[in-house]
Amino acid sequence: MITAERKPMEELTECMKPFGRILLVGCNECVTVCAAGGRKEVGLLSSALQMHFMKENKPFEVKELTLERQCDPEYVEELAPHINQVDAVLSMACGCGVQEIARRYKEKPVFPAVNTKFMGASESQGVWAERCAGCGDCVLGITGGVCPIARCSKQLFNGPCGGSTNGKCEIDSSVDCAWQLIWDRLKALGKVDLYEENIAAKDWRTGRGGGPRKIIREDLAS
Amino acid sequence: MSFQKRLSSGEFVVLAEMNTPKGVDTSQFVADARRIKGRVDAVIVPDMDNGVMRMSALAGGVLMHQLGLESIIHVYCRDRNRMALQGDLLAAYALGIQNIVVVCGEDMKNADHHNAKPVNDLSELELLGAIRTLEAGSDLSGIELNGAPQFTTGCTMAPWRDEKGFEQELELTGRKVKAGAEFVVTPPVFDLQRFVPFAEQTRQLGIPVIPTVFLIKSVGVARYIATNEPAAGMTEEIIQRIRKASDREMECVRIAAEAISAIKESVQGVRLVTLGWEHRLPAILDLAGL
Repeated sequence: MITAERKPMEELTECMKPFGRILLVGCNECVTVCAAGGRKEVGLLSSALQMHFMKENKPFEVKELTLERQCDPEYVEELAPHINQVDAVLSMACGCGVQEIARRYKEKPVFPAVNTKFMGASESQGVWAERCAGCGDCVLGITGGVCPIARCSKQLFNGPCGGSTNGKCEIDSSVDCAWQLIWDRLKALGKVDLYEENIAAKDWRTGRGGGPRKIIREDLAS
Repeated sequence: MSFQKRLSSGEFVVLAEMNTPKGVDTSQFVADARRIKGRVDAVIVPDMDNGVMRMSALAGGVLMHQLGLESIIHVYCRDRNRMALQGDLLAAYALGIQNIVVVCGEDMKNADHHNAKPVNDLSELELLGAIRTLEAGSDLSGIELNGAPQFTTGCTMAPWRDEKGFEQELELTGRKVKAGAEFVVTPPVFDLQRFVPFAEQTRQLGIPVIPTVFLIKSVGVARYIATNEPAAGMTEEIIQRIRKASDREMECVRIAAEAISAIKESVQGVRLVTLGWEHRLPAILDLAGL
C-alpha cells in the first residue's frame, strides 16, 4: 500500500488560515489502512482544525467527506455538488488523490493534509516499512523476494557493503541489512548460485529515469 | 586582459566552444585550441554536451589552462548531486578554472547512456545559489571552507519555440540573474533582422548578453534547423545561399563571420559553436576581423 503520515498541525492551520469554509476529504484506500487519512482521521482533523480556529475567534466551517478512492475520477466526481460551497479543499489522500482533485476542480485551491511516504507493508500493529521503490523492472525473483532498491540504504545491486554488522545496516541498528536478508532467503531456498552471480548495472529507464511514467492497457483503454 | 575583466569593463568577448574527446586522446582538442590561442578570450568547454559521455569539462578546462588559454566550463545537475557539484567546483578553482556556466543538462533519455539514473538533486537556480554560497566561504551545509573560490559565473537562455516561450525564458533568465548569474549565453542567431529586437529585450536583464553564432555545416543542417527549431530564425535565403555557393563550406564560414560582424555592436560578446569543425575557427575569426 501507499503509506502516509499526517502533516504537523501547525503547518495545516497555517495553510488553512486564509479560508473560512473548507472541504476535508479522506480516502477509503491505502491511507485508511495506514491510519493517516481515512474517515476516522478526517473526523479527528476536522475537530482539531475547528477547535484551533475557534480559539482564535475565526469562523471556520468544515464539510467532511471520505471517498472510496481519491485517485479515481469516478469517485472524485462526487465532490462536484459541494465544491462551490467551499473556499478550499484539504485532502487526506496520498499525492495521487490530491492531484486528481486539483485536475478535476481547476478553480479550487487544494492542499495536502498528509505527507505521502512510500510503498510499504505492515510489519506489526502501527508499524509500516518500505518494501517497493516502483522501479518498473522487478528483480525480486532473483533476490529472494527482498528488494535491494527499497530496502538497502545504498540501493546496492551486488551487496552487502562493508557496513553490514550482525545482519543490521550501518545507518541504523534497527534497520535490517537487505543483503543479509537476501542471502538468508536464497540459502533457505537452495539458490545461493543466484547470489554468486553479479547483477548487471540496472536500466533505470523503467523507473523515474525515463521521466513521468504511464501504463496504457490497449484492451482496457477506451 | 582576463575574460572577467573584459566582461566587467564592457569589452566585446570572443568565446569558442570546444568539446572534450570521447576517450583519452586529447591531441585534436589541444591542436584546435592552439590554433585560436591569443585570438579568443576564453574557450567554453561543455560537459557531456547533448548527453554524450566524454571526458569531463573539468579536465578539458585544466588542459586549456595548461596551454595558457582561459576556459569557461559547463556545470549542470543531471549527473552530480550537491556534494559532487561542490567538490568539483572547488577542484576546478584549485586547478585554475575561474569561469563557469550553469547549464541545463540534456534529458537522460536523449543521452547515449539513456539507461542511467539521472540525479537532479539541485536545479540550475539552486546551483547558482550554491556557487554564491561557496564564494561566501561555506558549503551548502553551512560548514566553513578552508579557502573560498571566486568564479565568474554565467547562465544560459534555452532556445524557445514562440513568443510566449521567449517571454517565459526571459523571465527565467531574470531569476537566474537574481540567483547570481553575471552573464548569459543565448541561443544561435541566424536571422539578423530578428536579432535587433531580441538584443533590445534582453538588455533588461542587466548583465552582459553573449549570443551564439553557430557554424552551419551544410544545406542539410540548415534545413534541419529550419524544420525543428522554428524560433531559431533560419531563413530560406541562408539555405539558398549555401545551396548555390561553389564552395559551400567556405560560404558557411562567411555566414558565421557576417553574423558576428552584424551583432557585434548590440551585444557584449559572441560564443562560436563549430561542433567538430574547430579547424574552421581561425577562418571565421579572420573574416569577422577578430
